[in-house]
Amino acid sequence: MIKLEKLSRQECLRYLGGKNLSVTPQIENMLDICEKKIFETASVKYLYKEIPVDSPVLHHGNDIEEHLKGCEKAVVMCATLGAGIDRLIRVSQITDMSEAVVIDSLASVAIEQVCNQVDMIVSSLYPGEYLTFRFSCGYGDYPIDLQGEFLRILDAPRKIGLCTNKSSLLTPTKSVTAVMGISKNPIEKRKRGCAVCNMRENCKFRKAGLRCDI
Amino acid sequence: MTFKELLETKEFIILDGAMGTMLQKSGLKVGEIPELLGISHPEIITGIHKSYIDAGAHIIYANTFGANSYKLEGCGYSAEEVIKTAVVNAKKAAENTDTLVALDIGPIGQLLEPAGGLAFEEAYEIFKEQILAGSDADLIVFETMTDLYELKAAVLAAKENSDKPIICTMTFEKDLRTFTGCSVECMAMTLKGLGVDAMGLNCSLGPEEMFPIAEQLSQFSPLPIVIKPNAGLPDPNSNTYDVSPEEFAESMAKLVPLGLRICGGCCGTTPEYIEKLCEALKDKKHVENTVRKYPAVCSATKAVDIEEPRIIGERINPTGKKLFKQALIDGDMDYILNQAVAQVKGGADILDVNVGLPEIDEKEMMVRAVKEIQAVVDVPLQIDTTKPDVLEAGLRVYNGKAIVNSVNGEDESIATVLPLVKKYGASVVGLTLDKGGIPKTAEGRFAIAEKIVKASQSYGISREDVYIDCLTLTVSAEQEGAAETLKALKMVKEKLGCKTVLGVSNISFGLPERELINRTFLTMALENGLDLPIINPNVDSMTGAVRAYKVLKAIDKNSVKFIESYNQANVGEKKPQPTAQKGTGDLAEAIENGLKSECAAITKELLNTMEPLEIVNQKLIPALDKAGDSFEKGKTFLPQLIQSANAAQACFEIIKEKIASSSNAPVSKGKIILATVKGDIHDIGKNIVKVLLDNYGYTVVDLGRDVDPQKVVDTAIAQNIKMIGLSALMTTTLKSMEDTIKLVRNTPQLQNPDGTSKCVIFVGGAVLTKDYAMKIGADYYCKDAKESVDTAKLVLG
Repeated sequence: MIKLEKLSRQECLRYLGGKNLSVTPQIENMLDICEKKIFETASVKYLYKEIPVDSPVLHHGNDIEEHLKGCEKAVVMCATLGAGIDRLIRVSQITDMSEAVVIDSLASVAIEQVCNQVDMIVSSLYPGEYLTFRFSCGYGDYPIDLQGEFLRILDAPRKIGLCTNKSSLLTPTKSVTAVMGISKNPIEKRKRGCAVCNMRENCKFRKAGLRCDI
Repeated sequence: MTFKELLETKEFIILDGAMGTMLQKSGLKVGEIPELLGISHPEIITGIHKSYIDAGAHIIYANTFGANSYKLEGCGYSAEEVIKTAVVNAKKAAENTDTLVALDIGPIGQLLEPAGGLAFEEAYEIFKEQILAGSDADLIVFETMTDLYELKAAVLAAKENSDKPIICTMTFEKDLRTFTGCSVECMAMTLKGLGVDAMGLNCSLGPEEMFPIAEQLSQFSPLPIVIKPNAGLPDPNSNTYDVSPEEFAESMAKLVPLGLRICGGCCGTTPEYIEKLCEALKDKKHVENTVRKYPAVCSATKAVDIEEPRIIGERINPTGKKLFKQALIDGDMDYILNQAVAQVKGGADILDVNVGLPEIDEKEMMVRAVKEIQAVVDVPLQIDTTKPDVLEAGLRVYNGKAIVNSVNGEDESIATVLPLVKKYGASVVGLTLDKGGIPKTAEGRFAIAEKIVKASQSYGISREDVYIDCLTLTVSAEQEGAAETLKALKMVKEKLGCKTVLGVSNISFGLPERELINRTFLTMALENGLDLPIINPNVDSMTGAVRAYKVLKAIDKNSVKFIESYNQANVGEKKPQPTAQKGTGDLAEAIENGLKSECAAITKELLNTMEPLEIVNQKLIPALDKAGDSFEKGKTFLPQLIQSANAAQACFEIIKEKIASSSNAPVSKGKIILATVKGDIHDIGKNIVKVLLDNYGYTVVDLGRDVDPQKVVDTAIAQNIKMIGLSALMTTTLKSMEDTIKLVRNTPQLQNPDGTSKCVIFVGGAVLTKDYAMKIGADYYCKDAKESVDTAKLVLG
């Protein structure tokens, strides 16, 4: 079981704009209230499954090949905060839009933290082996419309209620799918960074000289 | 043999076990579509069916679980082909036996609105196609459902396109809810109303873990109970299950006292499990479940029993409300949704929904209102309309068991309304009036009530689903009327045993201190047996009177809820409002600090000395500009900008009211369409733009998310709108944005005589760049809400 733990304020504030601002007590207070609401509402669910590294789904474009180079195995995973969070965001947009953007940002932080915990669980199943970072459909030239295939492999619609729509967007929206390569040999420490990011031409963080160093 | 005969002749009806598990054993690979095996390897499928029949199954499920047009898209076969073949395969296996073949239908595989993008009507069409294709099966099974709304679409599709028996099973988690939050009680109430033949649980858990859910089901389902659990819980990595056939059968036998009637196995089970199950049940007798009858309605997630007074919120109704009427004409759903959320916060248990206005398409608005309201509140709804087609449209898209408002004693009303109440499994408000109007005496009204109850029963609607309204007359016009209403109320309650409903506020028309009259009358009515007061729950004294009544009648045990309500109001989770420096009276400062009530107060003050539009242009806009500027420069966070905008909105509300009361001149700087494009469901960015544009005085026609290009064009033509804003969050939906722009540009009605476009289009969204925006034919790219406002100023002034 994964439980949500304290959500990173720093990361959330980054999403909310503002450069090196000091946080006012008002914003601080709002973050506390919104975090509490997310903890009450989120229903964290996740799945993972080892698949052969030569599975067709893992061979679309150069970036995924590059990512899994030298790996003998691959683990596909998905995670979601559940439909309740979407509802929470929807309702707060009606009652208080400023709260809605804070909840939206904090929920993005939350699903990322959940994924990090899934990483650790998977990692513990492969002692002495090395994991790549999580690579998702839509990174670089890895097509986003494989999203549905990932979910099918994981039986995610049935097991955790995670689906895609026709445009390959995940629903509930605060959800992630990804694949990690597993290797017996140390993997050159590749980072999820601007090189494979579709947002790189347009990224406000990048323009401000910042990087997503995850 | 038919399903009915099975029920009559067998102690327990045995279903089959898993198909998927057996297919994996026979070599199905990860990612392969299991339903296609029926075409490529029919002998494997028939073999599996036979093994279940040999194990003792009375009903086998055809291999059609995922055979719908959405899941099969691109596989080379149509749903119809796959289903027809699957039914043939199953029938072949069942040849020369009494075994029945069920058309097995699982979830579509895409979430329905509001969580996902699939419309209720689209879901209906997908199910309809499956049902027509499977017409050779003996019965229809919907299983592994987690969304009651999807299941409702499925059941309606089955009822309207087939006369086969229907079994429904949903999948619950250990918290006794489905993924979408549906409870067992809500499922039972809704499915019973829709007229299915059996209901129950399948998948997700093993028989042991299912026990508490089955326990609830036995309390709420008057229909035969179906249980089809997994072979225990799966190991997350290997996907193997942990319960043996013997253990499985043993646990299933423990469900017999809970009314188990129809049973089989889901994931991980094999013919051996079914064999053991048959053995375990061989000498057992089934137990009829004794379900308590009680009056209640529900949404998908919340059931409300009417065993104590419950408040119906009356505010979603345009009668006598200028701003509400305007909101309906403008299609301003936020206004309506705000009223919904506020009423629930105020203490409403049920919301009345009336959107009748001659200027609008009431049917279309009812559908939209029901869908959007149920997406943001969890209380049951009461569909309030005088038009049968509007009523049916509302009932159809409602997710749960609704109340119909209303039927009356006229034969025509009875003949048109009650069949709809029955078909959609609703409750109904019966008005004690007929062609002769409202009878003066209590006896006259009682007679009509009696007629309505009898008529309802003849349509198969039970007494506890009829709520009689003895009608409130205005006491200033007919002073004796109040006593007569109360007398009728008491008679109906005592002699007919019906629940009662009453709109309370009419009593005080034409009198001063209306609230005082209303509250007193409400208390008197409650004491005479009123169950469902229709009131404004945001008037504290009215809601308070109901709460106090429940204390004094010992309904609210130990006054727990009363204390809770008032504690919450005082100290509960109230948002810390930034404290205002009273008396400064500076609107700009109040906006900058996001002080809503302060803003409203100052605006009221200013209206004494300034013209409304002067305030907008000289005070509001500059203050908003300043807030936008701070955000742009990175001096404030986004929530602060929005708070400023909301504070400005408070000013705007006051100004709008002023203008609405003095003249008809709109305070709008121009109309703008906003839409999140087809296929995209991330609309928070667009909504932020809306808040800002609203507060700069533009009239935003918000088409919502996942908007078809044609709808944008139609709206632009119909309302003569020259400015359109489109948003798309994902790379996959940029194509839709391009399509929408193309359609706008290519529509002759939206072109000037020289062929140039009448419409200015601005676009935004996370993955969009200026270059790309220009490439797809937009006029402006706006990187954030602030730039959208700048663009609107540039274009519309």
